[in-house]
Amino acid sequence: MKKWRYDSSRDLERTPLDRLRQFPREPDILVYGLRSIVALIIRGLLRIYNRFEIIGHENLRTNRSLVIVANHCSHLDTLCLLAALPLRKLHRAFPAAASDYFFQSVPRLWIAAVIVNALPFARQMRVRQSLSLCEQLLISPGTILIIFPEGTRSTTGELREFKSGIGALVAGRDVPVVPCFIDGSFLAWPKGKRLPRPRKLRLIVGAPLNYRACGRDKMEICAIAAELREAVNELRQRNGSN
Amino acid sequence: MISPQIALHDPIFRAYFWIVLISLAIGGATLGFLRVVLKKDTASMFRTYWSWIFMAGIGLIVVFLGRIPTIVGVTLLAIYAFKEFARASGLYRDWWMTGAVYAGIVTVGISSVISHPRGEEPGTGWYGFFVAVPVFEIALILFIPILRNRARGELQRMSLAIVGFIYIGWMFGHLGFLANASNAYGFICYIIFATALSDVAAFTFGKIFGRHPLRSEISPNKTWEGALGAFAVAMILPWILRFSFPFFGIWQLILTGLIVGIGGQLGDLSISVIKRDIGTKDMAATIPGHGGILDRIDSLIYAAPLFMHMAGYYYPLR
Repeated sequence: MKKWRYDSSRDLERTPLDRLRQFPREPDILVYGLRSIVALIIRGLLRIYNRFEIIGHENLRTNRSLVIVANHCSHLDTLCLLAALPLRKLHRAFPAAASDYFFQSVPRLWIAAVIVNALPFARQMRVRQSLSLCEQLLISPGTILIIFPEGTRSTTGELREFKSGIGALVAGRDVPVVPCFIDGSFLAWPKGKRLPRPRKLRLIVGAPLNYRACGRDKMEICAIAAELREAVNELRQRNGSN
Repeated sequence: MISPQIALHDPIFRAYFWIVLISLAIGGATLGFLRVVLKKDTASMFRTYWSWIFMAGIGLIVVFLGRIPTIVGVTLLAIYAFKEFARASGLYRDWWMTGAVYAGIVTVGISSVISHPRGEEPGTGWYGFFVAVPVFEIALILFIPILRNRARGELQRMSLAIVGFIYIGWMFGHLGFLANASNAYGFICYIIFATALSDVAAFTFGKIFGRHPLRSEISPNKTWEGALGAFAVAMILPWILRFSFPFFGIWQLILTGLIVGIGGQLGDLSISVIKRDIGTKDMAATIPGHGGILDRIDSLIYAAPLFMHMAGYYYPLR
């Protein structure tokens, strides 16, 4: 009789808390089930409470890896973008979340790891390491990276400058970059408020861009970041936002 | 039917509350003595001890809350224990199989809660269905490869799923079904307390007198001395705690002792066989100082169903 090979998970010796912290995560059907159920509830709530609406949904329809780039004023932004994805892609969609904010306290860690499936992004130190993690994820098809290149939630609702890291990630890489604008999230749940308010939310999905032909030097990277910011800004102006 | 109102006035539950408290106090005092007077290194033992306190608290609260919380608690524990087994054995990569086993474990829980659709008073559990769940679950597991039109490696997956369900889901589920017994407090509290105490006894006797390895190929740290010590404790305990089942005769008390004394050890060793073959030390690192949930409940998995069917043979559970 041939010997059976047990394909044990690599994190058997880790405590449950460490398992939440690790990335990439091991597949877990219980977590997937819970995530899908919560995602359905969030979708329902967004539609009812915030009259959530998606414009340009067809721009997300692809089986390739994607980078979604959006403005960031509120925690609702991530939820809106996740609500625009089909449920079965949810477990391959990774919103980049600040590891100094989301991966420290236990409740936030649990929400980030289980509900949002966040990617821990070290935005202060080891940015390069986090970026190379993103690059590795993009290699396997069907990965969706959600990145807020402003680096933090805007406190005024204005679009801040984009960090150049986004340029470094997509330059010279054949991956569609989808600019998105989330309208109303600043009014609905600004930074510092405890609970969201029932304000109208709209997600405007722009046409995908591709930077496969771009070089990877500093100038071009910064130019890409500026161009993406311009693309997001244009979505805002074109769709008559406040 | 057990419920918080009854638990407050039930002499058996109140007695176990104090027994658990006093046992933990004695354990703590012993560890303190080892540490302060004999200056032994007890850091790892203290970690185990704090986890014991935590688990005893949760266990007492869940049993206090009544029949349905007890069954739900046992079902959640079985789900988590199976998850550890699936992660260690690699079955967790197969969503269909793990999903089928989770569904089976939930069905075991449901069959313990609902009563027979025709007749029988509520709150008794549906014994006939509870005992028959493995039939349906195995039928479902065998159906999955056919449904997916796959054969390669499926025997291994089916076997792991069936062992996981029967052993961890269904056999452990008997502990939840015991909550339907008219003597639920006596049965549940006794079997949990006795297996826990015999585990501690095995550890203590093995630590003090351990010389001869019990099963060197399976678990190098277990000794004959520890096993015999645990066996002795398990045989004496039914007589000391006879109030838990006042209607038990001599034979039933002896059988209870044998089930806990031998069954508990076998449960421990059978999980060790699985771990040894997989090549891991613990199933997980869920409980500090104990390993995984499965490492903790291993003797209970083996002893609880034997105890339930022994008691059910001599006396109606209701």
